[in-house]
Amino acid sequence: MDSDVPVILTSIGDSPSNKESLSKALGSAQYVDDLPFHDLAYAALLLSPHARARVVNIDAREALQMEGVLAVVHCFNTPARRYNSAIRFYSDDSPCDMPKTERIFDTEVRFVGDRVAAVAALTEEIARKAAQLISVEYEVLAPVITLEEAVAKNAPLATDFGVDGTNICGGAVAYGNDTEESVLRQVRTQEIVHESHFHAARVHHGYIEPVTHVAAYDDEGVLTVWTPSQSVFSFRDVLSYVFDLPQSQVHVVKTIPGGAFGGKLEVMHEPVVAALAMQLHRPVKLRLNRKETFAASRSRHEALLTISSGFRVNGILVSQHVKSLLNTGAYAGSGPNTVGAQSGKTFVQYRAESLFYHGCPIYTNSPIAGAMRGYGCPQIMVAREVHMDQVAHRLGLDPVELRMANLLEPHEKNVLGKDMHVFLAKECLVKGTEMFGWEQKRRAAEADRSGSRRIGVGMACAVHGSGWYGVYQDMTVVTMLMNNDGSVQVLAGIHDLGTGARTILMQITAQALGLPLQMVALHDADTRCSPVDLGAQASRSTYIGGSCVLKAAKDIRRQLHEVAAVLLEVPQEELSLLSGCVVHQDSGRSIPFGRLVDAAQKGVGGSQRQIATVQSFASEMAVYSSSAVFVQVCVDTDNGEVEVRQVLSVHHSGTPINPALCEAQVHGGIHMGLGYALSEQMETDPNSGALKNPSFRSYRMFRSNRMPRIEVYFIKTPEESGPYGAKGLGEIATDGVAPAVVNAVSHALGNLMIDRIPLTPKTVLRMIGKIT
Amino acid sequence: MEQTQLVRFVLNGTKRELTVVRSWTLLHVLREVYHLTGTKYGCGTNDCGSCKVLIDGKATNSCSFPMHKLEGKHVLTIEGVRDNPKYRLVPEAFVRCHAVQCGFCTPGMVIAALGLLLENPHPTEHDVAEALSGNLCRCTGYVNILKAVLDAAGRMEEYTHGQ
Ligand code: FES
Ligand code: FES
Repeated sequence: MDSDVPVILTSIGDSPSNKESLSKALGSAQYVDDLPFHDLAYAALLLSPHARARVVNIDAREALQMEGVLAVVHCFNTPARRYNSAIRFYSDDSPCDMPKTERIFDTEVRFVGDRVAAVAALTEEIARKAAQLISVEYEVLAPVITLEEAVAKNAPLATDFGVDGTNICGGAVAYGNDTEESVLRQVRTQEIVHESHFHAARVHHGYIEPVTHVAAYDDEGVLTVWTPSQSVFSFRDVLSYVFDLPQSQVHVVKTIPGGAFGGKLEVMHEPVVAALAMQLHRPVKLRLNRKETFAASRSRHEALLTISSGFRVNGILVSQHVKSLLNTGAYAGSGPNTVGAQSGKTFVQYRAESLFYHGCPIYTNSPIAGAMRGYGCPQIMVAREVHMDQVAHRLGLDPVELRMANLLEPHEKNVLGKDMHVFLAKECLVKGTEMFGWEQKRRAAEADRSGSRRIGVGMACAVHGSGWYGVYQDMTVVTMLMNNDGSVQVLAGIHDLGTGARTILMQITAQALGLPLQMVALHDADTRCSPVDLGAQASRSTYIGGSCVLKAAKDIRRQLHEVAAVLLEVPQEELSLLSGCVVHQDSGRSIPFGRLVDAAQKGVGGSQRQIATVQSFASEMAVYSSSAVFVQVCVDTDNGEVEVRQVLSVHHSGTPINPALCEAQVHGGIHMGLGYALSEQMETDPNSGALKNPSFRSYRMFRSNRMPRIEVYFIKTPEESGPYGAKGLGEIATDGVAPAVVNAVSHALGNLMIDRIPLTPKTVLRMIGKIT
Repeated sequence: MEQTQLVRFVLNGTKRELTVVRSWTLLHVLREVYHLTGTKYGCGTNDCGSCKVLIDGKATNSCSFPMHKLEGKHVLTIEGVRDNPKYRLVPEAFVRCHAVQCGFCTPGMVIAALGLLLENPHPTEHDVAEALSGNLCRCTGYVNILKAVLDAAGRMEEYTHGQ
């Protein structure tokens, strides 16, 4: 906590509206598809109809002859360097290997929707028609489409990228506080041994803005890419690597993302538009349609988890083993990192004597998985929290009671010996139980099990980190400059995705400098003018970005004090900041910032200079946010429909800087979790590998008339290391929702064992034996 | 050559005449011909509502509205909302109620809300949820959007009485 904050005008805890929200609501904010370009060419992709095939020959003559066609690119005329689209740094040295498996175009296609070629033309219509005129000779290969096939004994190979002749991508992640064997032995020797399997389907981010990029290549040899990226510096590094350009000649502009949720964290088709722009020397835009956006973007890893636990009869967890298989699709991308991130969640929620995690990303000939809000966490949370409810039922304990007995305490050392800092999982649970009227609602639901419509009440706990500490060098950089009138200019590497990260960092700056919000301008990521950052991911923008702006603001404050001390002829310690002035408390004299800036420029107290600073911030600890989610559902046993009636989500993410924006994050997270639990899945044809539902009609996200009553509550206790007490929220907003829904459905159906999501009407009817 | 046709219509209060190709949608014309990029392309298949405009006062997905059927009709886009002091109360309510996150769905949501409020100035929360069910939002869970529309209803009412 910052002890020495200015006394007045706290903008921490206020809820100014999200920056840019008026221009967005009025339609004047420009997304990448809205940017005007002179001489723009339009691109279209030719996507593979085969789940696996070798590209033997490409004949583009007919396409090139079409009027208005400008260029065709494919694997025989573009750079062949392999890259990993999910790297974080140029020299990605994550402990998880990040295999380089992708090319702009490859001589082998590995899933239905893989890129084969691209056309640039004068209009999108021409480009799309021409793409269909490209004749490709394929040698079709046998695919491995499902996760089950890929992990079977002696499974055929989906790609030639796997380790040691398997479909495992990058190697297994396996560790615990003891050997795997000992942990499994300890599990088996407990009074209560419980094992459960869980399957979570592949889902899509469902951002409403389709995948769109623009690239231009100018006469100076600079490649510029406009894209709604969540990590412009990694995009720059991938592009410079693929095209062998110095990073100084690659400029990546983060456009306003029309929804991202991790789906725009990894390079997608930017290298394709770049290749076309470099060939044509004119700007090229690629906008996928919705069908292509589903097939050829990223998705959440489908997961198969097996959890085995040993409990005492009194409900104390002694030992647990987690086995996880994540379907990473045809290319590595962030598969290894997602497993790594998931593994961490094994150790930071419940106390036990021994814990072990063993997970692998698995290649299949199916669409690429990647980062998506939660990043491996929603899968382990749904599997483990459903497992916990099953154990509670076996032991005849209330699900809340079982968790209360096992959740880690604040500042407790977890099984890996790490301090949990201000981890308030139990407090969330207690608060939620009381607010929701848990016991009364449970009892009322159980009292009436007669009709075909059954009420169920369920809950789940979740945990999430704030940043990549422990895996990557999690750092960010901020440049802060005072203007001559005393207002301040912040260049931050962070990426606002519409969550309000910019607004929150501006509030922190305003607070630290004692300035009204309008006196602060903050520009986010752009490789040409913002300092480096690791991207909007891992719930790090507020915790890491906020800490960095706070550090920079403190340095500006020090510089202002320095000048003021000379002018007022008083010691610096007697000065403070108030409403845009440095004030000397004892004498009541004050000097506005603008005059101090002027004085510094004239050389007062040193050489002639600008009041400015560049500060790096590196995270030095892992802190965890927590949630407890409570849900009431009504299950119709005649038609299998689940109606969600009420959701309460209680959170501890430190002190909310902007409570309204925090609440809004949770609303969106709940929406995503409801779909994950009940209605969303990317259905793949097990034979052809084609997506069966690549449209917003058949891929079912919750619509406004299906939403339940939602309540959100924040426990505001500060996180000691966080900027003004804050820590991460973006991902935990969704992590605990699906398991709470599943547990409620199970409760409605008499504690039925549930082993999969989504619980579509068909699945529910099958579970209760109404259909086969 | 594709068949062309002359279409006369009113766009945000201005009379327009345009020769259109038969395959053109209204969304295509708004974005590519008039550069009114406030209306968004989200799916092109009539499923998300981010392309909504008012046609003769009714909220309609412009991605699925053929241009040649626009003869004689009045179109209001989000840019037209911006210039109308009463209609503008709707986007302003979205801002006030924190109903805008990524904002990509917002213009379409505003239009759908306006279409509802013009027809039914006193909607219940249920009415709003039904009226917006053709518009997808992935960021907000619709919670603050529903609040914003109810808030806008109140303010439009006050505005009308204040006139
Ligand atoms: S773009 Fe028209 S409904 Fe989606
Ligand atoms: S605000 Fe992002 S889709 Fe609605």
